[in-house]
Amino acid sequence: MFYISAASSISHQPTFKNAGFSAFIGPLTESSALVSPDYKGFIEAGLLRRMSKILRMSVACSKDCIEQAGIEQPNAIVVGTGLGCLQDTEKFLNNSITIEGLLPPTAFIQSTHNTMAGQISLSIGNHGYNMTHTQNTLSFEHALQDAMLLLNEGEKHILVGAADEYIEILTEISGQLNIRPETLLASGASFFVLSKEKTTASLAVVKDCVTTGLVQDIPEKIASFLSDNGLKASDLDLILYSGASNGLNHDDVFLKTLPASLGKCVDYLQLSGIYPTASAFALHYAADLMNQNKSLKNILIYNSLIQRNLGLTLVQSIEA
Amino acid sequence: MGVRITGIGIVSAIGLSVEENLLALTEGRSGIAPAVFFQEASRNLLVGEVKVSDNDLKTQLGTGAANISRTSLLGLKAAREAWGSNVHTPALRTGIISATSVGGMDRSEVFYKDYLAQNNPDFSLLKTHDSGSTTERIAAVMGISGYINTLSTACSSGANAIMLGARLLIHGKLDRVLVGGSDALTKFTIDGFRSLMIYDDQWCRPFDESRSGLNLGEGAAFLLLENDKSIAFSGNKTLCYVSGWANAADAYHQTASSPEGKGATLAIENAIHRSEVTAQGISYVNAHGTGTKNNDLSESVALKNVFGENIPAFSSTKAFTGHTLAAAGAIEAVFSVLSIQHNLIYPNLNFRKAITETGLEPVTSLQTDKPVDAVLSNSFGFGGNNSSLVFTKK
Repeated sequence: MFYISAASSISHQPTFKNAGFSAFIGPLTESSALVSPDYKGFIEAGLLRRMSKILRMSVACSKDCIEQAGIEQPNAIVVGTGLGCLQDTEKFLNNSITIEGLLPPTAFIQSTHNTMAGQISLSIGNHGYNMTHTQNTLSFEHALQDAMLLLNEGEKHILVGAADEYIEILTEISGQLNIRPETLLASGASFFVLSKEKTTASLAVVKDCVTTGLVQDIPEKIASFLSDNGLKASDLDLILYSGASNGLNHDDVFLKTLPASLGKCVDYLQLSGIYPTASAFALHYAADLMNQNKSLKNILIYNSLIQRNLGLTLVQSIEA
Repeated sequence: MGVRITGIGIVSAIGLSVEENLLALTEGRSGIAPAVFFQEASRNLLVGEVKVSDNDLKTQLGTGAANISRTSLLGLKAAREAWGSNVHTPALRTGIISATSVGGMDRSEVFYKDYLAQNNPDFSLLKTHDSGSTTERIAAVMGISGYINTLSTACSSGANAIMLGARLLIHGKLDRVLVGGSDALTKFTIDGFRSLMIYDDQWCRPFDESRSGLNLGEGAAFLLLENDKSIAFSGNKTLCYVSGWANAADAYHQTASSPEGKGATLAIENAIHRSEVTAQGISYVNAHGTGTKNNDLSESVALKNVFGENIPAFSSTKAFTGHTLAAAGAIEAVFSVLSIQHNLIYPNLNFRKAITETGLEPVTSLQTDKPVDAVLSNSFGFGGNNSSLVFTKK
């Protein structure tokens, strides 16, 4: 049992500092944009100017989480990112190809995947374990698993989260490569404090999280995941799945096996937009829903955003 | 309790196999030279290049002509050697954790150049861009599915992959795991370190007073870690153990290390503590020692913080291989295993005069006469990411 004692997201929805958002958000429309808070409250102005979107989102969510959890310092900072700091990567790549001679280093410095985790440690003065996982659509799940290992090793509070940023060229690339071209590509960051002990601040429980890369049999994997946790599919109150935009989900290899009597299935990508670590948004959404609706006991986050990679996260209500 | 290491594989500027690397290390032969295969490097730029072309790698590995990043090709070559003749069985949960900082950037650069020039860019080159895909490619060829993960913490990534693999085995999440890292030379990283003015146009000189930067290298290394259940099946001999590990954040600056070596000191102390070896029990320190002013001073201070006046024999092997970024921690882990297996302490090439502030002198000639029972290996990266590993004979 791992308790979520704080959750903070910046997304295309009004999620930031807005507990209860799950009750009123709906599918994103094409005109939707990132809902950014006033970052000045979280990041010093000089630093803010140099920071890309993904860094701002990550640092602001982290600071919000630490405040919510009421802790001085987390024991560790663990971040997942599918594509890393794209804005600075493209900027430096562009400079490197087009400029002769010495280049400004800032974009290079901020292009490495662990810039978020590094900047978070810098901004709060944290000297603990600091890790960055990058396994495309399973990056967040891997970060979450690492946080769970750390808690089992005796740590008390882990700051764990994920972030990815949209840059313009992604639309052209996804079109050219036929990767879900009709779905809204988005930016997003979701961070959590995962704790060993239950407190009055606890929102929900992460019961288990399993990743399977190059997966063969999705329904079989889900069945064994549920049975390892003493559950059947009919025990699930909600399945948050990564659907496609074209309404083909009745063909999903797992969802079509479910009894009609099962409660709802919600395509979380409709709410978050597409980015590699959107399952972190789904976890915040699940925790927020459980806090509003006490009848929800078991929520499965079923991440198959890339078909060959399966991420399963079981979220339970505090009382369950 | 340590975790067994039963297989190693490596490809670097000093060789395409464990045997070739060991020979170069004992002969004191550096692999750093002007680039031959990497076309984007300016003339006479000194790099630690792996002396084989992408096409020859593809032929050797039998991957066909498919679009594969050099990072994956190098990683695959090292992973194959580490895996050896092991076989798959449904009875064992096998995973892979790789580390990379550039991922498929070598292919993305080709795309982006054409894209900017509006010269019919090949978008499919970008399919290998994301770091995770470089590991998936290796996993697919190796027949590994299930736990496939990639870490990216700049220059400490490879050490972190080993640490995570060891933890997953201890927690019973896996029975055996290939852990390591891979990075290819790219224009992106060469220009990046040049922009920071820490790329030395001469041979890098770790821990030397006159040091003025690093030479980039490329390469890959993997280690096979196994638990008792896996050993019972494989019958593999244990080469040595990874017994200590720790990661700590310096929280000082995005790229520079703190003058007091805070993060490095924490990582070294905690790794030694976990290994249950005493500080005096460390036979050799394979230092991060990049040859930059900042790293080598900060690391020297950290060594003094931990070991006081009794600093063990230490050297950096970066002057052999160049700085291989995310692969460095894994490459140097293989060197540490070889150090224990053969009782070797490697020379720190290109050293003349100790750093004035600290006065520390690394080992400058190959030592073969002392037993090496425990090796500390340091890897420090951007973002203040500091990792240390301890390898032990028993």
